[in-house]
Amino acid sequence: MHIPDGILPIQVTAAGYAATAAVTWYSLRKIKQKEDPRQDIPKASLMTAAFFVVSLIHIPIPPTSVHLVLNGLMGALLGYYAFPAILIGLFFQAVMFGHGGLTTLGVNAIIMGLPAIIATYIFRLRKIGNQESPRKNGVFGFLSGFVAIGLSVAMFVAILLTSLPADLNAVVEQAAIFALAIAHLPLMLIEGVITAFLVVFLRRVRPTMLDSL
Amino acid sequence: MKLAIDEYASLNSPFHRWDPRYKLVGLIILIFAFSFIRDLRLLLAMVLVTAAIYIISGLPARFILRWLRFPSFIILVIVLTLPFLSGEQVIASLGPLALRQEGLLAALLIAVRFACIVTVGITLLVGTTHLLNSIKAMRALGLPLIMADMALLTFRYLNELGQDLSLMLTSMRLRGFRQRSLSPAGLRTFAWLSGSLLVRSYERSEWVYRAMILRGYGQSSRPQGEYQARPRDALILGAIVLTAAALVAGDVLLGHNIAAILQ
Repeated sequence: MHIPDGILPIQVTAAGYAATAAVTWYSLRKIKQKEDPRQDIPKASLMTAAFFVVSLIHIPIPPTSVHLVLNGLMGALLGYYAFPAILIGLFFQAVMFGHGGLTTLGVNAIIMGLPAIIATYIFRLRKIGNQESPRKNGVFGFLSGFVAIGLSVAMFVAILLTSLPADLNAVVEQAAIFALAIAHLPLMLIEGVITAFLVVFLRRVRPTMLDSL
Repeated sequence: MKLAIDEYASLNSPFHRWDPRYKLVGLIILIFAFSFIRDLRLLLAMVLVTAAIYIISGLPARFILRWLRFPSFIILVIVLTLPFLSGEQVIASLGPLALRQEGLLAALLIAVRFACIVTVGITLLVGTTHLLNSIKAMRALGLPLIMADMALLTFRYLNELGQDLSLMLTSMRLRGFRQRSLSPAGLRTFAWLSGSLLVRSYERSEWVYRAMILRGYGQSSRPQGEYQARPRDALILGAIVLTAAALVAGDVLLGHNIAAILQ
């Protein structure tokens, strides 16, 4: 779900870089407000590497397969490190596998990273009210994963269809949006379910990991 | 899982010898000039510039084919469907399918721009420079320290965690795990596998941080004088900037009028 090089006009790619610079600056400012901002860098980096390799696993949905994005989980676990982590992950994916692109790095970072920041806040909502429970963690984990990937798909489709260097007629455009949304619905559910299972697993095995960095 | 990509970075060519900082600046200017191109006549010039850079860099053809052989799924879908979906002027029809001129030209523009940007990007970023050097050059050009540290550490552990995952997948298979269809139990297993890898990386990071502190992490400032630019570096950058400017000026002057080209 990364936009490759060659499709988007320069106005969109430049706007993507500008927006990414602004969000990265905001994230780094929040990170620097910590007592020792460097302390969490190795944690965020190694988990970025782990997310990167986990995203290479293919989950079979016969007759095809999908790979996990997990930007919702990244938001839930990494907090303000999520956006820089996603930017770095996308850069490595572009140069290593050609997924995404270099001119579209900014746009793709916004598509994947902004929903991750929203997922951070969704996952923090689990602390409101009564005590935390595995079920509550699971529900908010599902919501983080489901909403994050849903927002990413919506932004991806909107940017792609409005930026093609050709005029599609309205009927074709609506059909394409509908088809893409339907095609991604299983992925949204899978991301939500896996994120829910994952946070319940982490709560049992290493609960400190859920108090995002 | 082997993620080595910069095995040709030690060759010797003008682009290999080019200061990585200048190379990064030149790369950004050139790929953005490429993405500015909308005039079909300039596509040929773009292809020639790309081919020249690739030939001068001395990389074997199979290197870039690794990235171009399996173009992005989205590029494939767009290039294969646009000629039939977009435009008014029908140039050929086959049953219910009508091949349209505007869509065909848009697909050509996208495909060529994609191939040129990927080729130049990969050539300059990992084909002629070690990826670690490219990241260090970004740091020298002002990339925030936190970003540079995160990128270097992430890169350092990608291979190791990739190998961990391979081992874990192998042991799952040896214990009889076969995932052929989608089921809640299968998803839970994938979640636990991913979770185990995340826990391992989290625990390892605590040791890594202690080791880094022992070696003085956070005590020294940005290293100075790591790169020494020579006149030749500026000269190559000048040539790249002029090429990019000529392409952009050409696109503006020619007005990218597709109808005019076809008449």
